[in-house]
Amino acid sequence: MPITVNVPTILRPLTHNQKKIEIEGANVLEIIERMEQQYPGFKAKLITNGKEHHFINIYVNDDDIRFGNGLSTKLNDGDTLTILPAVAGGQEKVDC
Amino acid sequence: MNRPLTDCVISGLPQVIPPDFSAIAASIRYQAKTLGLTIESHQDAIDKTPLSFQFATPHTTPITCNITRWNDSKLAPVTENTMQAICGLMSVHGRASGKPQSLGLNYVSTLAAALALQGVAAASIGQLRGVPLSNIHISMASAALMSMGQYIAGATTSEAPEKLLPESTELAAQPPFKSQDGIIFELETLNAEIWKKFWTEIGVDLALASRGWKSFWQRYAKAISPLPEELPQAILNFTYQQIAQICSRTGMAICPVRSFHDRVNDSDSKHVWLQGPWEFLFQPGAKREFSQHATNHLPLSGLTIIESCRRIQGPLAGHLLSLLGANVIRIEPPGGDPLRGMPPLADGCSARFDALNHLKDVREIDIKSAAGQKEIKELVRQADVFLHNWMPGKAVLLNLDYDGLTAINPSLIYAYAGGWSTDSAEHISSSALPGTDFMAQAYSGIAQKIAKASGIEGGSLFTVLDVLGGVIAAQGICVALLNRCMNNVGAKVTSSLMSAATLLCADDFQNLYDPSGTDSSTKSMINAVYATKHEKIAIECHDLDTVKKLTAILSITFAPGTTAFHQQISDRFLLKTAHEWIEIFEQENIPAGVVNEDLSKLQTIAHLQRDLCPGSYTKINSPWSFQ
Repeated sequence: MPITVNVPTILRPLTHNQKKIEIEGANVLEIIERMEQQYPGFKAKLITNGKEHHFINIYVNDDDIRFGNGLSTKLNDGDTLTILPAVAGGQEKVDC
Repeated sequence: MNRPLTDCVISGLPQVIPPDFSAIAASIRYQAKTLGLTIESHQDAIDKTPLSFQFATPHTTPITCNITRWNDSKLAPVTENTMQAICGLMSVHGRASGKPQSLGLNYVSTLAAALALQGVAAASIGQLRGVPLSNIHISMASAALMSMGQYIAGATTSEAPEKLLPESTELAAQPPFKSQDGIIFELETLNAEIWKKFWTEIGVDLALASRGWKSFWQRYAKAISPLPEELPQAILNFTYQQIAQICSRTGMAICPVRSFHDRVNDSDSKHVWLQGPWEFLFQPGAKREFSQHATNHLPLSGLTIIESCRRIQGPLAGHLLSLLGANVIRIEPPGGDPLRGMPPLADGCSARFDALNHLKDVREIDIKSAAGQKEIKELVRQADVFLHNWMPGKAVLLNLDYDGLTAINPSLIYAYAGGWSTDSAEHISSSALPGTDFMAQAYSGIAQKIAKASGIEGGSLFTVLDVLGGVIAAQGICVALLNRCMNNVGAKVTSSLMSAATLLCADDFQNLYDPSGTDSSTKSMINAVYATKHEKIAIECHDLDTVKKLTAILSITFAPGTTAFHQQISDRFLLKTAHEWIEIFEQENIPAGVVNEDLSKLQTIAHLQRDLCPGSYTKINSPWSFQ
């Protein structure tokens, strides 16, 4: 089932500057794994130790996956996966 | 309290100042006093000429600073609130409430005062480093536009610009929240998991919580946060104490929207007011030849700043130092700052991000690794300033704290631009809260001041304190650099969102602790936004004569303060367009301005064009010009 991945600017060097990529996968993790196979380095930008980075928001259509089944969120034919960085003001939290 | 400029003098500030400049002059006086400057006021009054003062050090010839209303020859009268209207501040602040309105703070005036003092400090550094500067100029319009840089960038990208007009934004529930027992409070988290846990305990459906999260985290960028109605409704079932307990269990931060009087009752408030926006700690023994010559006509050219900051406050400070000529090296995580991808984009980079960072050199360094920390220390060895905005306590954990870096480079200016007034993990209770704009607004009393003026329940979703915090961080660095040039001392300079809030409340503190001092607060007899035949007009009258002139032009009965009077004004304004009224008012010297709701149209306003630089998005030019 083809899913459209909207690639954020920061990851486009990995995808040869492609903004949208059609790829198949049954859930979010599968999509990321297959993206990693085709575009090495992609996964590390989104996931560490099996969890998505807190400063990255991943949406399936309009829904944040953290409010669904996270990386196991199921995908349907024609779904869109969008990756967006989070933004805030004030001081920075650095995880040491 | 360490005062870095005790040998320096400001002279020529008039004692009697027109209402439109009085808040600027008051803020200059307060800031100058906290820096240790001697203030010599000897002129009686000014009229339409710029507000001017001279700044002198024992080692430099006097620098004259001229502050005008506009950045060109336009002399039309303007006030704090009409400038907020013209430059789009009212529009951004009004997105959340559905109508353009004033912040109710002397915001542009405070920014203008800070930029003026930063400018004279920078010009003096320039003189000491071989740049023959004797005059600087800034304008209220430049200060206002500088504060809007990110929002204007987002509204003017060639691809998918944001079009967020106050009256076209969805009128929905917005933060802050209210408890069953009537306490208004802000919630804060930068983590979706925490948001999810919190609303699950409150009993909200996950799909609704998800919709709320997307809106909530985007409020920093968009100045709106329309939440599903079910969220504030559900939270009304709990008392504040119950909600605080849920926050404690889930990791959500909570802060009541406190009054100024609550803030005054904090044990540190008077000290913070007396201290001013900066805390300086001097490091004697600077041995390096640091006053090297400038490399071009800008006063900080040839100086190197290492910036390890994200988001708004710290990057804005670095941006302002770039505009003064410094070489700013920005440290980003490997792969680059994720915010580079935050839409809308211009030439492949977030316009909002680029607005604060386009003048900097970038080094990608993993600051958590030993190799990365070593690389930063090598950079610091040759640098003039190190600036960070990490959470309290993190600098020590990263081996990049003040003691460690000044051991490498005793001439270093170590600058911290934080949320609260310290980078130590052990301090006031507020430091347990995340140091974000909206928490600092709530804690400091600023949110309630804005709420009272705007008829809303909390602060502004315009990042009031991030922007002013960035300005004062850059200003503190310039002052510390000047002190280093004169006295051979390095320094640590700390500023914060809280100290920016204190600066905005300086008049309130003055009235409380020193009522015999100058009361700069100028009450407006009329201060409102009216609809006209086309577009809206903001008008502000500080005195009776101006109100009388207005009533004569509008042919209405003079009865200020009554509902009928304002209704008459409203009715009359509908007879002409805003621009037609402005033409008439300018001839009579009545402060008024068209309310600019669409930020993409700012560049079409003739008197703002010198401040703006069109391109793949509209950039804001330097607020300073030097001669």
